[in-house]
Amino acid sequence: MRLATERRGDILLIALKGKIMGGPESAQFHEQLKQAIARGERKVVLDLGGVEWMNSSGLGLLISGFTTLRNAGGEMKLAHSTDKIQSLLVITKLNTVFESHDTVEAAVKSF
Amino acid sequence: MNHTPDFGGIAERLAELGHLAHETADSLQRDQISTEQLKLLLEVSRETLRGAVVLDLLREADHKRQENETFLRIGTKLSSMLNLDELLRTIIESLRQVVDYGAAGIFLINRETNQIEADFLLGYEKSDRQQLQRKFKDGVPIGEGIVGWVIQHSAPVVVPDVLQDKRYIWARDATRSEIAVPIIAGREIIGCLNLESNELGGFTEKDIEPLQTFASLVSVALERARFHRESIAKKRLEEELSIARRIQLSFLPTTMPQFEPYDLGGLNFPTLEVGGDYYDFIPITETDLGVAIGDVAGKGVGAAILMASFRASLRLESRSNYAISIILQKVNRFLCESNPPEQFVTAFYGVIDRRHHILTYSNAGHNPPFLVRNSQVIPLDTGGLLLGSFSDAEYEEARVHLYPGDIMIFYTDGVTEARNEQEEEFGVRRLLDLVQTYRDLGAMDMVRRISREVQHFESDAFTQDDLTISIVKVR
Repeated sequence: MRLATERRGDILLIALKGKIMGGPESAQFHEQLKQAIARGERKVVLDLGGVEWMNSSGLGLLISGFTTLRNAGGEMKLAHSTDKIQSLLVITKLNTVFESHDTVEAAVKSF
Repeated sequence: MNHTPDFGGIAERLAELGHLAHETADSLQRDQISTEQLKLLLEVSRETLRGAVVLDLLREADHKRQENETFLRIGTKLSSMLNLDELLRTIIESLRQVVDYGAAGIFLINRETNQIEADFLLGYEKSDRQQLQRKFKDGVPIGEGIVGWVIQHSAPVVVPDVLQDKRYIWARDATRSEIAVPIIAGREIIGCLNLESNELGGFTEKDIEPLQTFASLVSVALERARFHRESIAKKRLEEELSIARRIQLSFLPTTMPQFEPYDLGGLNFPTLEVGGDYYDFIPITETDLGVAIGDVAGKGVGAAILMASFRASLRLESRSNYAISIILQKVNRFLCESNPPEQFVTAFYGVIDRRHHILTYSNAGHNPPFLVRNSQVIPLDTGGLLLGSFSDAEYEEARVHLYPGDIMIFYTDGVTEARNEQEEEFGVRRLLDLVQTYRDLGAMDMVRRISREVQHFESDAFTQDDLTISIVKVR
């Protein structure tokens, strides 16, 4: 898993790339998110366009990111989910909780 | 050892005699001695000197033999000792028989901090040792001090006068000279063996070689101790896992309940010792049978614990008279209270009423089981969110009529996401085709055949998820 951040106005864009398998490597993601929240960030878009593969622990990473932000009064939206991720979200019904957009631009605009 | 002849002393005496014979031969007048006598005298001189050289070599050899004997003794001792401190003490104390010293220390690189730490000290006064340990408490950077220099350059060093050496960091009042060699494990430098002497020029270049041999003994001792530690930890973990596995196996049905006219079958293949898959048939009343399948995120002991709480809570709630949607809601709340949100379970739970042949179910984010009726395939996907992440989740339930010939297949994503060498997924299509292929077999045989086909399809390179299949056939 690789991680890149970028800002778009008052929105923090986090791009995840590679294989998202949760576990120890999700620590980096959580650390970034925690720091962002401490800095006052409340609007996050997670760009999943570069994700090659995601397992159930990877989904766990999305869930904890989402709840961490929501507990801080913020919001995390997904952008650019691959078909595979989209079908995982449908099966687990996470699509009823996560707001998901086709493009990063659409996700940014939706705030 | 005490019976070894004094080769050095004899050699010196012989050399003296040889030179004396030569001088005598030189000083004698030609007419005072015959040519034969002169030749003889010169030969005596030459042989005596040669004898001296041979004895010198013998002395060297004897020294080596003593060293080797010391090494051998230590080697034998090492193989019978497992306590690392005891091992290092033996090595460092035996070292004194080969290279004398005032104090000795083993310094190792901490791979996490990349700093040098004092791991073993001998011969330091209590106050010196405390001082030294304080200095090395947070580690000393590689490159600092004589020890640091040796580690950085991976080269031995002899310091005849520490006060004249800028690299020297004070550690002990009495120290006047020092020698240090790197400790190497495989190709990697892991630390430094350092000796201090109370005399100026206490060590020479000659001491480097035996010291390096001792440094390699230290390296072997450390390696052995690490191996021993890891194998104990590994054994303990294996034991724990096998206990966890036994507990978990006891959670899975060993025999299928009799529930005529329904034919039941199920199998679970965990990838690690302990997996996160679960399936169950829960007899509720004479006429009602609970059918469950679940997949816990993650693997190993953590997943097994979550699975155990899920099972306990589901089994408890399934015996209540609540609607299935409420049962899942309660299980979800329970899991949310006891686990962080990233640990979740996807699960399907349904109850078959054999009086009316009705399945009532709710699907909490699990891969939809399929009801196969002739060529028709009905996904059982009514329900709600996966369990354990969102405490306010609500669940819908659905009712399905069952008819003779109907087949229901329940599975975890280890089945549909199994990948072959071309990285193709097994997928739902292949699974449903196999249900049609084996539809005339009994439920348990169908489960066996289908899981064998999945395992056959799956490339070893990708085996990474548990695999669980259960089947209910209506006769």
